Amino acid sequence: MSIPALEASNLSARRGHGEARRLVLDPIGFTLARGEAVAITGPSGAGKSTLADIVLGLGLPDSGEIRVLGEPWSTPKRSHAAARRRLVQGVPQDPAAAFVPRWSIRTSLQHAITRLFPSAHPATLIAQAAELAQFDPGLLDRRPHQLSGGQLQRAALARAVAVKPCVLVADEPTSALDPGTAQAVAGQLLSTAAASGIALLLITHDPQLAAYCARTISIQPPAQ
Amino acid sequence: MNWFSRRRRRIAWASFASCLLSALALLLVAGALPWLSRTDPAAAVLRARYAELEPTAQALAAVRAQLGLDRGPLATSWHWWSGVLHGDLGSSWVSGAPIAPGAWRALSVSATLTAFAVLVALAVAFALVLPAALRVLRNQRQSGSGPLGVALTSLPEFLLASMLLVLVAVQLQWLPPYGWTGLETAILPALALGIPAGGLLGRLLADAIAAVAGERWVGIWHLAGAPAPAILSGVLRRAAAAVIDQLGLAFIGLLGGAVAVEQVFAIPGLGRYLLGAANAQDIPALQAGLLLMAASAVLIGALTAAARRTLRRGALPPGSLPAPPEARGTGRIQRWTAGITCAALLAILASGLPRDPYAIAFGRLQAPEPGLPFGADASGRDLLARVAHGTLGTVGPALLIVAGAILLGLLLAAAGEISRGPAVIANATPPILAGVVIAALVGPSVGGAALAVLWVSWPPLATHAASLLDEARAMPHIRWLPLSGVPRSRIWIQHLLPAVIPALLRHGMLRLPGVALALAALGFLGLGAQPPTPEWGLLLAEGIGYVERAPFTAIAPAAALVLTSVCAVALAGIPVPRRAGSRGPSKKPEAQSGSSQVLVS
Repeated sequence: MSIPALEASNLSARRGHGEARRLVLDPIGFTLARGEAVAITGPSGAGKSTLADIVLGLGLPDSGEIRVLGEPWSTPKRSHAAARRRLVQGVPQDPAAAFVPRWSIRTSLQHAITRLFPSAHPATLIAQAAELAQFDPGLLDRRPHQLSGGQLQRAALARAVAVKPCVLVADEPTSALDPGTAQAVAGQLLSTAAASGIALLLITHDPQLAAYCARTISIQPPAQ
Repeated sequence: MNWFSRRRRRIAWASFASCLLSALALLLVAGALPWLSRTDPAAAVLRARYAELEPTAQALAAVRAQLGLDRGPLATSWHWWSGVLHGDLGSSWVSGAPIAPGAWRALSVSATLTAFAVLVALAVAFALVLPAALRVLRNQRQSGSGPLGVALTSLPEFLLASMLLVLVAVQLQWLPPYGWTGLETAILPALALGIPAGGLLGRLLADAIAAVAGERWVGIWHLAGAPAPAILSGVLRRAAAAVIDQLGLAFIGLLGGAVAVEQVFAIPGLGRYLLGAANAQDIPALQAGLLLMAASAVLIGALTAAARRTLRRGALPPGSLPAPPEARGTGRIQRWTAGITCAALLAILASGLPRDPYAIAFGRLQAPEPGLPFGADASGRDLLARVAHGTLGTVGPALLIVAGAILLGLLLAAAGEISRGPAVIANATPPILAGVVIAALVGPSVGGAALAVLWVSWPPLATHAASLLDEARAMPHIRWLPLSGVPRSRIWIQHLLPAVIPALLRHGMLRLPGVALALAALGFLGLGAQPPTPEWGLLLAEGIGYVERAPFTAIAPAAALVLTSVCAVALAGIPVPRRAGSRGPSKKPEAQSGSSQVLVS
């Protein structure tokens, strides 16, 4: 059996400070094989977004550990995300968050590629990513606010897959879109991940969307 | 990352430790002032006490040993504090006599004066709050404190005192101009000290009442048929709880204002005692004066804390009570006022700058005439030129101070809770007191005065910078930048700073007139620029000496200062435009009204 793309063991998180500090994510463990799509579902307050932040390396867990390709990625004491950042990428709930407002989509992609994948040729990767995400290359020179929600979500997907990660975290990627676009974007997300062999962690409260994934893990808000 | 999330856990501790360490550092510095003094006091003491002795190295060393200057700062501080705890305030370096009796006498004079000033302040505040309270009783629309409150707070104490002196004592001759001989000598100083303080109290309370009266629960109480007095008491309590901290700061600001007022009216109070000690570089007397001032400030702080506990029924962590909504209004009047006063200042500048401020080209105290619009000063120098060049001499350093405060505020905001203790102390220091201490240590100079004003200017900017940084860090695209591999240093330089600096610059510019006034106040007291440099405060002080013969010498610089004061208050009153989206309004306006007054006073 090959090394899994992502292993999370006994992850939990506390947030807030002083007396307001409390458990926001009950201990959870799961494994993602390469190319596998797994949905995380649960009601509001279950800690879904906290889990997404921890897997992305934007926050630290308070217990447990995450390994990516068998190597340590994040523990309560340290994050190794900075050194191996290319391996885990994400698509945010608000796609505008993936781009610097004053930069064009192409500039944002170029910056990410030159930082994370210095050996690659940016133009080639950008073209590949746009094709994978079905993002119209004619829109690459626009700024984020000049794109529609669906276009921007595809651009965010292109940005994430451009550096060839092995894990993709999508936090409610369709919640800001109208139903038709949401369906199209969700389909795109799953097919892109499958086509490039990326393990997908899809975080959603929508059971229909979760049903597209191979497995569903349901989490509940911690009892106080 | 690691550091980022652990920081939160440490915040409570860091804040507490920072306050404790700052308090200890303050005590240490207060005790070690003789050691810190950069002017060698031994020679001065030798001259003052033993006129017959030659200032030989041996004699100087003996004096140093006698004063305890050869010990380190810790020993000096320890020695002084142990003396204080035994009721011994030391002896003067100038006269050699014990300090305690004189300091206590000065304190009792100041306490009497402050009692009168508080009476005036309460009367003024009551008059300002009354309309708002009546509107609550009659369930009418609230409109805020209005222009009267602004007018009353616009003049800093040293300016108001000078104007009362010229107008009431010299021109109308209704009351004696100087001294401390009876009730009639207390009236003008009490007015000069009490009117700005009362105006500030009344304005803060009236604005808070106006804001609170618009809250939803007031309407619900009205609908439920609650009696009007019950509603009023609820509104008053909520309003007072919201501004109690600023009220405490306003009273502490009185201590600084008292220095200027006592100097103008020649009242032998604690302020004048401090100023005398600073000018004579009599550090033990300065220490005693500061100790009494600090004790009064601590007393006010304790009273404020007690009042806060009563008003809020128990101790709440700061920030847990939602701030009342800001006073509304379009700020049209304020905009116009600020524009007109700025234009008038520019006119003085444009007409006066080409003229020579140092040339003695006219008669002594020559009266104003078309070719000499403001008249000539006591040396026969052109006052228009001196006031115009004084604008540069005052506003130039003020610009540097603002820039320094922005930089310092940004650095300390980035440092987080570690800067909490220094901020608390700096926020409660009246600039005049900081100026007195620095002048006593290094001698009076523009640089020292600027340092003193800088010390009191950075906390509001640091608070604002911290809230702006928090907002910027929470912006989704900045939160996600690490995903593109952007290192933290780069996030700071390329993304956080550009989001924060424009707002900080605007805030700093709003504070510029207040800073210029604080600088002028120090110049007025002789703690800043030295003659013959043209500087507004210094010009006013020079003019005050001749008010009986030539009132115009005081009126010209006073006019420039009044224009600046009005401009400062108008600028502070302009509502900050709210921006749409996540970069919402900051806490600036609240911080502003509180501490700009501390600056001005």
